[in-house]
Amino acid sequence: MPLVRTERLTKSFGALTAVNAVTIEVEEGSLHSVIGPNGAGKTTFFNLLTGQHSPTAGRIIFDGRDIAGTPPHGVAHLGIARSFQRTSIFPALSILDNVWLAAFARRESWRGLAWRRAEGYPELTRQALVVLAEVGLGEKAGQPAREISHGEQRQLELAIALAAAPRLLLLDEPAAGLSPDETQKMVALVRKLKGRYTIILIEHKIDVVMTMSDRISVMHFGTVIAEGTPAEIQGDPEVRRAYLGGART
Amino acid sequence: MSKAWLAILAAVVLLPVFVRHAIATEIWIFAIFGLGLNLLMGYTGLLSFGQATFFGSAAYVAGYLLKYYGINVFLALGAGIVVGAVSAAAVGYLCVQRSGLYFIMLTFALNQMFYFTAYQWTTVTGGEDGMPGIPRPHVLGLDIQRPLAYYTTVVVLFLLALWVMKRIVESPLGKILQAIRENELRAEALGYDVPRMKLAAFVVGGAFSGLAGVLYAMLFGIVPLESIGFVFSGNVVFATLIGGSGSLYGPVIGSFVFIWLSESVSSMWARWPLLLGVAFVIVVLFFRGGVVEAWARFWAWRAARHAPEPVRADAPR
Repeated sequence: MPLVRTERLTKSFGALTAVNAVTIEVEEGSLHSVIGPNGAGKTTFFNLLTGQHSPTAGRIIFDGRDIAGTPPHGVAHLGIARSFQRTSIFPALSILDNVWLAAFARRESWRGLAWRRAEGYPELTRQALVVLAEVGLGEKAGQPAREISHGEQRQLELAIALAAAPRLLLLDEPAAGLSPDETQKMVALVRKLKGRYTIILIEHKIDVVMTMSDRISVMHFGTVIAEGTPAEIQGDPEVRRAYLGGART
Repeated sequence: MSKAWLAILAAVVLLPVFVRHAIATEIWIFAIFGLGLNLLMGYTGLLSFGQATFFGSAAYVAGYLLKYYGINVFLALGAGIVVGAVSAAAVGYLCVQRSGLYFIMLTFALNQMFYFTAYQWTTVTGGEDGMPGIPRPHVLGLDIQRPLAYYTTVVVLFLLALWVMKRIVESPLGKILQAIRENELRAEALGYDVPRMKLAAFVVGGAFSGLAGVLYAMLFGIVPLESIGFVFSGNVVFATLIGGSGSLYGPVIGSFVFIWLSESVSSMWARWPLLLGVAFVIVVLFFRGGVVEAWARFWAWRAARHAPEPVRADAPR
C-alpha cells in the first residue's frame, strides 16, 4: 500500500488551474521526484499536501485516511514535514532552537508547555543536536540563524524538517540558490536520507533527479504528463518535447 | 542570582529613599503592566494597542467588589487577574483572526468600546469622575494603609510576577511565541496552532495587566476613567519600547524611565511629553532594543576602546 496517494487532486485560483487532476502514488520508503518547468504547479502541489491550500477537488490519502482540508499544523502532527523552496527559518533564534522547536512540536504531550524550562527536555535537545550534526551544523548550534551563510541556512532548512521525525518528507528544491560545491554537499545529504524516509522531492537539476529517484512524475501546466522510473521518463517522447527539450539526447 | 536581579533588588530598596512612595509604587505596578504587554509585543510580535482594556476592566471589577462587598485583598487580586485574563481572551479571540495593521486597529477599536462603556455606565463606574473610595483592607492582619507597607506589598507581587514571566519566556511556550514572531508560516508548518498560541499570549498578558490594574486602584483609592482609555494603552507601549521590547527586563526599565519622567518633570514643565517624544524618536531611530540595547552597546563600545590597539605593520612611524 502506498504511504500517500493523491486522487485527481485539483487546485484552482480563479480561472487558473494550478494543479489539475493530479494522481500520484508514493510507496513507503521510496524517493519520488516531481519535476517540471517553472510554474508547472509543483510547489502548489506541495502546499496542498501540507494543508497550506485546501484542494478545489480530489483527495489526499495519507496512511489510509483522507487528509484533504486539514490545516497545516494538523498535517504536521500526522508526520508530514517539508522544507521550503525559499528559506523559511527563525532568524533571531539560535540554530539549536530552530531545530528544537520542530522536535518539540511533535511530542505526544505538551506537558510543561508554559512552565518547564526548555532545557528540561534533554531528549529533545539531544535529538536536535543529532539532526544538526547530520546536516553538518553541529558546531554552530549556539549561533543565531541569521548569522550563517545562505548555504548553511539551506542545511538548516532541511534540518528543521528532519527534526520533526517525519513519516513523509517533502523537499522543495533543497539546493535552490546553492553554489556547485554546496549543491554537491546537499545532494550527498539527500542521498543519505533516501531509504530512511519516504521522500517527495522537487528538483530542477535533472541529472540529480535521474540518478537518485525511484520514480519520477513530470508536471506540465498543472497536470502530470508522465510517470515512471528514471529510465522510462528519459525515454518518454512527450516528456522530451515538453520539458527536456533537445537538451538531453 | 544574576546581575539583573541584583540590580532590581537594589532598585527596590533604594527607590523609596529617593522618590515619593506613591511614585515608587506606581513604577513597579506599571512594570507589571509592561511585562504583560511585552509578552505580546516583544516576544510574539503582536503590537496590542489595547492593553488598558484589561487593566481598566480589572480595576473596575475588583474596585467595585472592594468598595461595595468589602472583599479581602487576595480575592481582589484574584478577581483582577481573572477579569484581566477573561477580557483578554475575549478581545484576543477576535484580534488574532487578523494580522498586521488590522490587528492593531482591532485592539484599539475594542479598547475604545470598553472605554465608552465605562464612560456611559455612570451608575457603576462613575463615568468621567471615576470610581472613588476604593479601600485598601488589611492583609493577614497587616495594615497596608501606610505608603511604605503598600510599597512593600506591591514590590513582593512585582518580583513574583517577574519570576513567573521569566519562567514563561524561558519555557517552550516562550520559544514558540518567538518563533511565531520570527516566521508565522514556518511555526504553523511545524505543527503549532498559531492563533491559539497567540491567544495564550493574550491571556497571560491580560492576567498581568489585571493584576496591575487592581494594584493601581488600591494605590490611588480610585479607578480613574483614564485607566481604561487608549492613552493608557499607548503609554505602556511607549514605556516598553523605551525600555526595550523583547527582553525580559526592558519593560521594567521602561516603566522606571516613563513614570519617573512623567511624575518628576511634569511638575516642573508642563510640556514634558515633548521630552518623551524626543526619547521615543531616539529609540526608534537608533536603539530599536531600547535602553537595554543602548546599555549593551555602550559596554561593547567601552570594551572595544580599552582593548589594546592592534599594531599595523604598515603604520607610519
